[in-house]
Amino acid sequence: MKTQFVKTLWALMRRELWESPVAFKWTPIGIGIFLIFLSILSFIIYTQFDASLASLYDGLRLLADRSAENRGLAVKAGLFSVAALFFQLMLLIILFYLSGSLYDDRKDRSILFWKSLPVSDSLTVASKLLTACLLVPAMFLLAIMATQLVLLLFASILSLMAGLNPFSLFILPAGLPRLWSVMAAGLLVQALWLLPIYAWIAFCSSWAPRLPILIAFGIPAGIALIQHSWSLATSFTLPATNIGWIILQRLGSGALPSNVNIEIGSTSNMNFDENTFMSFAHLVDVILDPAMWIGLLIAAFFITGAIWFRRRSTDN
Amino acid sequence: MTATIRARNLSRHYGKNRALDRVDLDIPAGRIVGLVGPNGAGKTTALKAILGLGRYDGELEVLGLDPSKSRDRLMEDVCFIADVAVLPRWARVKHIIQLCEELHPRFSRDQCMFYLNHTKIGMDSKVKSLSKGMVVQLHLALVMAIDAKLLVLDEPTLGLDIIFRKRFYSNLLNEYFDEERTIVITTHQVEEIEHILTDLIFIRDGRLILNSTMDDIHERYTEVMVKPDRVEEARGMKPLHERVLFGRHILLFDQADTARLRELGEIHKPSVADLFVALMGEDEVADSPIADNRGVAV
Repeated sequence: MKTQFVKTLWALMRRELWESPVAFKWTPIGIGIFLIFLSILSFIIYTQFDASLASLYDGLRLLADRSAENRGLAVKAGLFSVAALFFQLMLLIILFYLSGSLYDDRKDRSILFWKSLPVSDSLTVASKLLTACLLVPAMFLLAIMATQLVLLLFASILSLMAGLNPFSLFILPAGLPRLWSVMAAGLLVQALWLLPIYAWIAFCSSWAPRLPILIAFGIPAGIALIQHSWSLATSFTLPATNIGWIILQRLGSGALPSNVNIEIGSTSNMNFDENTFMSFAHLVDVILDPAMWIGLLIAAFFITGAIWFRRRSTDN
Repeated sequence: MTATIRARNLSRHYGKNRALDRVDLDIPAGRIVGLVGPNGAGKTTALKAILGLGRYDGELEVLGLDPSKSRDRLMEDVCFIADVAVLPRWARVKHIIQLCEELHPRFSRDQCMFYLNHTKIGMDSKVKSLSKGMVVQLHLALVMAIDAKLLVLDEPTLGLDIIFRKRFYSNLLNEYFDEERTIVITTHQVEEIEHILTDLIFIRDGRLILNSTMDDIHERYTEVMVKPDRVEEARGMKPLHERVLFGRHILLFDQADTARLRELGEIHKPSVADLFVALMGEDEVADSPIADNRGVAV
């Protein structure tokens, strides 16, 4: 029974992969190739100015002279910045995917085929959200890992050419197993953090008569606008918080390093350490944040709504 | 033994329009039922209710389950084809087959391949690259590979050539159908299915006009090609319907005395199409321009 459940879910999620190979497979691969190409290109351009690579070697030696901790920080900063572009595009892809996830098959009538399979509507909705929360991040993480490996290899070759040990300079400081596991955990926590927004879009996708993406963005934007105008008209002030701002803030915060967690204090001493990018400690903070749990509650509400509409939807 | 389909007072309204109007229906296992009606008569609404795809009022039980509540469980034993093939256009043939295999406990890949071997459908093709007829062929192969208790076919052979249609109905009868199974089928090409039906239902404006076994229908209705000099006499016997073919008057009678009819002319059993025109004809002529514009939906 339980294995059948997992098997069904997996089959449904693979179906999503088959439906959107460009978004889920070729985009991360493309970003990886683009970043590697960009690195090679900048290297080639650099050689035009400094054919002997002297300043590059100097730079590498300078790095080799720093403390192990600093080396680690520098290498990790580089590796995280590689991941940043992936994370940004992944968020966009997930938002667009979810807006079509429960709408496209209603539009092209294939919902009648999907509903002819012995799969419950809750499982269908669950498979779409799990695709957004697990499958897509996993695909992107694989691409990130591959890109980081290629770039590390590239850096290692350069350090060998400079007569430096690539293991002590790049590979060990990178701490790949730890880096990758914190990224995997981070993606998971981030998915939970954004789940209310994901669920809202899936909810809109489940009932919107057309253009679910516009409806999903238009409703909160409209509410924010009304709230603003009302506040301005009645008290000549702008509201302290509004729904649009809350959503934007949510999208821009959370566990991912692309939203660099720098706390700029009054003394403006930026505290650069491992927590700057991503750490297990920071992830725990995000999980324990009450905002996380309020969000999950809202998500549960919209998921229930999405299932309710899905149950009633047919081809017309 | 519970009936495959049991409906009491089944109704569905679209605004003021009654798509289904207090329909009572019992379909036991082991029948092939033809559901025939003009466009907009409520056929698709009835089928959707049976499949758990639409709301309804009244009681409805399919294989002992309430379709509006347990569609997913019902679909383990029921399969259907809607009026047009609705396979996802982005999917590849092999993907769809794999999905059915993984998601449907009663799907047989061998059986599906057996039906597909007669076609030109490639495993790697995408559905959107297949012709309309090929998509229907694929869908039929998928559905017939499922060992279901109830098969619902809504205009299953739309867009197929006559050779495939013939083969499909012969497969349906010889390889698929047995005493455990029930098939409900709607089509406008009634002449193609009348020889395989065991039961016939006529539906119009959400009401059942006729609901009977084919044996009873053959017993009840008689058509007479009346001799020219006996037409007035025949008309006096209250025929259901009269039509003229090559100058000869053909009259249809319900439960008339066959011995007497034989004196009036040449008697034979009416085809389903003739019966349809006789029972539903008059209003149908008046309705048809509107009904046709509405298409096959509703």
